[in-house]
Amino acid sequence: MKTELDEINRNIYDIKNKDDYDFKIKKGLTREIIEEISRQKNDPEWMRDFRLKALETYNKLEMPTWGPDLSELNMDDIATYVRPKTKMTGNWEDVPEDIKNTFDKLGIPEAEKKSLAGVGAQYDSEVVYHSMKNELLAQGVIYTDMETAVREYPDIVQQHFMKCVPVTDHKFVALHGAVWSGGSFVYVPKNVKVEIPLQSYFRLNSPESGQFEHTLIIVDEGASLHFIEGCSAPKYNKVNLHAGCVELYVKDGAYLRYSTIENWSKNMLNLNTKKAIIGKNAQVDWVSGSFGSKISMLYPMSILNGEGARTEYTGISFAGKGQNLDTGFKVVHNSRNTSSLVNSKSISKNGGTATYRALVRINENAKGSKCNVSCESLMLDDISRSDTIPVNDVRTDEVEFSHEAKIGKISDKSIFYLMSRGLSEEDAKAMIVRGFADPISKELPVEYAAEMNNLINLELEGSIG
Amino acid sequence: MILNETPIRTAKNYEINNINIDDFSLPKNIKKFGGLNISGDVDKISIIEEKNKANLKYGNGEILSKQIENDSNVNLHLKVDSQDKKEITLEFNLSEENQNLVDDILIDGTENATATIVIKYISDRKGKFYHNGQIRVVSQNSSNLNIIFLNLLNKETENYVSIENVLDENSTVKYTIVDFGGKNSVTNYYTNLKGENSNNEINTIYLGTDNQLLDLNYIVEVYGKKSNINMNLKGAIKDKSKKHFKGTIDFKKDCKKAKGDENEYCTILSDTAKSISLPVLLCTEEDIEGNHGTASGKVDEKQLFYLMTRGLSLKEAQKLIVRGQFNEIIENIPDENIRDIVVEQIEQKL
Repeated sequence: MKTELDEINRNIYDIKNKDDYDFKIKKGLTREIIEEISRQKNDPEWMRDFRLKALETYNKLEMPTWGPDLSELNMDDIATYVRPKTKMTGNWEDVPEDIKNTFDKLGIPEAEKKSLAGVGAQYDSEVVYHSMKNELLAQGVIYTDMETAVREYPDIVQQHFMKCVPVTDHKFVALHGAVWSGGSFVYVPKNVKVEIPLQSYFRLNSPESGQFEHTLIIVDEGASLHFIEGCSAPKYNKVNLHAGCVELYVKDGAYLRYSTIENWSKNMLNLNTKKAIIGKNAQVDWVSGSFGSKISMLYPMSILNGEGARTEYTGISFAGKGQNLDTGFKVVHNSRNTSSLVNSKSISKNGGTATYRALVRINENAKGSKCNVSCESLMLDDISRSDTIPVNDVRTDEVEFSHEAKIGKISDKSIFYLMSRGLSEEDAKAMIVRGFADPISKELPVEYAAEMNNLINLELEGSIG
Repeated sequence: MILNETPIRTAKNYEINNINIDDFSLPKNIKKFGGLNISGDVDKISIIEEKNKANLKYGNGEILSKQIENDSNVNLHLKVDSQDKKEITLEFNLSEENQNLVDDILIDGTENATATIVIKYISDRKGKFYHNGQIRVVSQNSSNLNIIFLNLLNKETENYVSIENVLDENSTVKYTIVDFGGKNSVTNYYTNLKGENSNNEINTIYLGTDNQLLDLNYIVEVYGKKSNINMNLKGAIKDKSKKHFKGTIDFKKDCKKAKGDENEYCTILSDTAKSISLPVLLCTEEDIEGNHGTASGKVDEKQLFYLMTRGLSLKEAQKLIVRGQFNEIIENIPDENIRDIVVEQIEQKL
């Protein structure tokens, strides 16, 4: 007998609103379309030029020759800019009813009241709500949408925008550079500790469209921040595209924790890019949960540029029916005595494919560095697929590097043990899977850990057949 | 020339999907090779000189396999067909007189057969020689083959090797590979664990010095139920040498209760040596156990300190520690003389 596992109940995430927008750019990707987006967004001249240059780069770069098959993506079928029928507001009551309802159901304002220092909510291509607690404002913390940042803090934005992730990195970053819209900008001044997290939530409602939000976070010397990113979308029959970009500058002695729970619908191609540049004795911790999307190619990256810089990555992905989640972590040790710790878990079931793809590079100048990688994959049936493809590139001698990986199913012994203690087979399996995911949920804030456990429970709900 | 493609690609800029040899030129006019010496139980293993016409599934790329097909100067078909223990050594010696070797070896292990086969490539200490070879091993039901493969060529010689093994039910093929020689040494190793309960063990030691480039691409496809693969590599690199180790275990659907282990430890002895590893596990069957581990770094400081307090110099202590790591694998070599040669090479190279 075998436990049958049902697909997740995505009711909350799948609520669609009418595709009611103020402006939707025509589908496709041409110079005219980019110019029109730029006009609609009132870009300063440098940003318009930047977009056009990025488009040129996009046209020159080839599609990835590795990873999941992206042949179903046709940019001629995607509208890259959809402006919702509202202006950005700092007052929740001013958000239009249908959009507000969506975020209410996702629990965003509730979370803001209880446990967040600030919230940003993006609907399609524009941020519709942004607010932050007054005490942070008084400390000089800036938390705003990216468009406001371009207008009000031009120097700092121009100095950092797509410098950490240059448009030449890969084709979808170039695409992002050309059509980006929305996202959050955060600046934490020197030595300011933001005790409770800030959160941005990205919701893509419009069908056959793309979301290309840009997140730029600068944590100045000695400061600290916890930033949470959430994303979801309802399911349509046609492909939607998400190609966001996250740039994190964490200066000397600073700390940033970046948590993501990604729960895109299963028609989404999630080709997101995230990178952090980390200064002397600074630290960035990534916590990442990938549950949704049809295809994900997501490899957050830490560049340890300052002596003694540290990074940790804790990630879980759960690939179900029709999903191909190609995720992992990249780290470059670029200075002495840097360290990294990677802990990745993946679960595949119902024909889903989970791939851990990674890079560790320890450069010549990184003597005294340490890196430890551990990845585990759990397969819950024999129609799924689980791959591990890590590259370990060590270019100097005085380092400690180790990598270990495991693939397998839930051991019969563990199930037998739990069943002999009175648990049903189904409960035993669910308990083992929760235990498997535990090191990740421990790293998440309570509400998110609960959401993740809930997702796992929903995935595992079923009957013995 | 692009060689040794991995079975699955990853990002191009990681520079590991294949190897590009810039200054490669294919030697023309391959003459008869007179440097082969066969010794051991030659009366118990039939050796026929014939073209094998084997088409390898992976191999080192079209140009090199075409060369073997058209221009090979050694073609051997070894038929191992009895259960008594026997041992045979094929020694290929590259020298001024025999500069180019293009060899094609087929080892046929018939049902229940048992043998140890030593394949040894050596060369004069100086001289730019060329070796391109392929070895195909067919291990029929319940056969047991122990293959010792030694690459002890000099540091100026180009060395390209493709190995393919197909294992039937209950058969075992055990490899001990000593990969020390060659300016560019490129090895493509592929095993098809076809039969139930088949077992492939690979123990490799490698050493890179000066400007040597070692590119090892080991691929094992697991089809048979309860089959087993164990890959174990220990190596050391120094000077400006580069090592790429690409190890793939691919668990195919229905290979229930199969097990695969892949371990590599690379000791880095200089701050200009480079080690890239890509330990891949691919899996479409849940009822398996797959593990891999890789580690690299310098020699353990505590061990070094201990040995140095006993009066050894830094170099001697490093040498002793690396030899200690290699020892378990060297022990697999049955012939004491060969063991001594390997140890001597470690002494010289480090």
